[in-house]
Amino acid sequence: MEVIILYGPYLLISGCVFGFFMAWGIGANDVANAMGPSVGAKALTLSQAILVACIFEFAGAYLAGGEVTSTIRKGIIDPALLADSPELLVFGMMSSLLAAGVWLIVASFKGWPVSTTHSIVGAIVGFAAVGISADSVNWPKVGSIASSWVVSPLLAGIISFLIFKSVQNLILNTKNPFDNAKKYVPGYIFLVGFIISMVTMLKGLKHVGLTLNFQESFTYSVLVGIGIALIGSLVLRRVENTYEQRGDVVFDGVEKVFGVLMVFTACAMAFAHGSNDVANAVGPLAAIVNVVQSGGEVTSHSTMPWWILLLGGVGIVSGLAMLGYRVIETVGKNITELTPSRGFAAVLAAAATVVLGSGTGLPLSTTHTLVGAVLGVGLARGISAIDLGVVGKIIISWLITLPVGAGLSILFFFSLKGVFS
Amino acid sequence: MRSTITDIIKKSPFGPIQAHMIVSKASVEELINFLQFAIDLNWDEAVQSRKLISELENQADALKAETRGLLTKSIFLAVPREDILDLIKLADDIPNTVKDISGLMIGRQMEIPKQIASSFLLFAKEAAAITDAAAEAVDYIDELFQFSFGGNAAIKMQQLIEKLNSLENKNDHSEITLRAELFAIEKDFPPINIVFLYDIINKIGELSDRAEQVGHRISLIASR
Repeated sequence: MEVIILYGPYLLISGCVFGFFMAWGIGANDVANAMGPSVGAKALTLSQAILVACIFEFAGAYLAGGEVTSTIRKGIIDPALLADSPELLVFGMMSSLLAAGVWLIVASFKGWPVSTTHSIVGAIVGFAAVGISADSVNWPKVGSIASSWVVSPLLAGIISFLIFKSVQNLILNTKNPFDNAKKYVPGYIFLVGFIISMVTMLKGLKHVGLTLNFQESFTYSVLVGIGIALIGSLVLRRVENTYEQRGDVVFDGVEKVFGVLMVFTACAMAFAHGSNDVANAVGPLAAIVNVVQSGGEVTSHSTMPWWILLLGGVGIVSGLAMLGYRVIETVGKNITELTPSRGFAAVLAAAATVVLGSGTGLPLSTTHTLVGAVLGVGLARGISAIDLGVVGKIIISWLITLPVGAGLSILFFFSLKGVFS
Repeated sequence: MRSTITDIIKKSPFGPIQAHMIVSKASVEELINFLQFAIDLNWDEAVQSRKLISELENQADALKAETRGLLTKSIFLAVPREDILDLIKLADDIPNTVKDISGLMIGRQMEIPKQIASSFLLFAKEAAAITDAAAEAVDYIDELFQFSFGGNAAIKMQQLIEKLNSLENKNDHSEITLRAELFAIEKDFPPINIVFLYDIINKIGELSDRAEQVGHRISLIASR
């Protein structure tokens, strides 16, 4: 308690710095996987992708990021158990941010497929289980989070497989693919708008002060979907069945139609990423800010200050603007094999899965979910060659990230504790 | 900078196969030039032409290696790996056979009797046309793949294969004519020369066969 009152402002400022650093890292590196496919498929130019990412990452974080943030903040460990020693929660969350940040830098440097989410969850569980007590960890919740890491890539894979199969049957394998593409693509656009707004309205809008029941959410989401599909149809009207050179790839009419669709799925993906991944930076920070501002009182019911999300959003956007655009460019250049008709299926499936996770408060790995979705399209024979070796690398990175994240955060936790006592 | 998403999506093995087929096509076209030089007994030019054929064969080998390099164990492919390996193996026979033909003819300074020269050249040109058609089918894999092996793309591929078959039929008849013409005059030439001439005809026939097999392999890939 005394520590909080004595060093409160310092803890607050360093917490903000660490949280901002984490958000910056997400923007610099993680966003590239979410936006890369759209740039690679030439659906968006680099600058358009950055603009889309800035707007929709922020919107996703603000409108649909509440549930995941609260899971990270108070779902993994029970703050009530720390009522007597609130400074431990502050140290622990600071250590977690530092540990995840350091591990992510090392991993991106080495090119390992490590997830931001896995790092932060591992770090929080680590400091809580070792630094406080094993009982302070909400193990059933941790179990459901860990199983969601297996389920989400699988689910995304199944969805993308089904979406691409439907594309094959309705559009590609028909006598007149171009006309059928124009006919059915607005339907997919509707689906994008509907899924995203449905999950957001059902789960995310409480903290904005809007509570809708299922019936209302459904009705409004259908309306949003129709509205977006209408906008899409207007754009589609101008697409002609001619060849067009984009970079080093020649697009025919069908791919141009899917290119329009992919602009919408790219927005959805940025929204989904924002709703899930911003919490990794903002959740721990919110816990720190709550304790410090209340002068050492651990309150699990307090509301989250609006400026924390803003800090997270600004962090992501600045990471994106300073370094992320180069990563997106590289990713985009290397995956030209993923044409819009394939890319949209993968991205839509991933976005839907991630947004679903955000709605239920499960912190997922956006990248791993997207990998599952790409595999789904591959199994439907949509991609000529995919490397299954990556799946093995991802499983190894799961097995390594959790203990390393935990170990690092335990180390930082005891160091901070030593410094301040 | 690497990323998980770029790691998972690999280059299509069809890219180098298509490039290989373009090289094969160029090699068979050069063979026509070579044969013309041989008919004209212009051995200086023929040697130059043979050099070009050798270079093309080297390029083809490199592309074959590149294709195989893309087919590592952990790769999951939209079409069976065996089909792709067979395809590149068949395709690679084309530049090899062209090199064999030109090598043999240079080595023995083989003369082609004036009486059969025009039938001989026609026969070789038809083999080139078949290679051309096979290359067209291989080039069409992209469209086939884009439309998921169905719809109009599959119909167009079937048409390309039919064209290939009819060219091959025509070529079989030309071979019979050419052999008959050679048979009629063979008594007037040294027997060893005639034996080698038949061998060259066999090898040119092999070229057409290989090109036709490439086409059939593609249609098999297309129908899966």
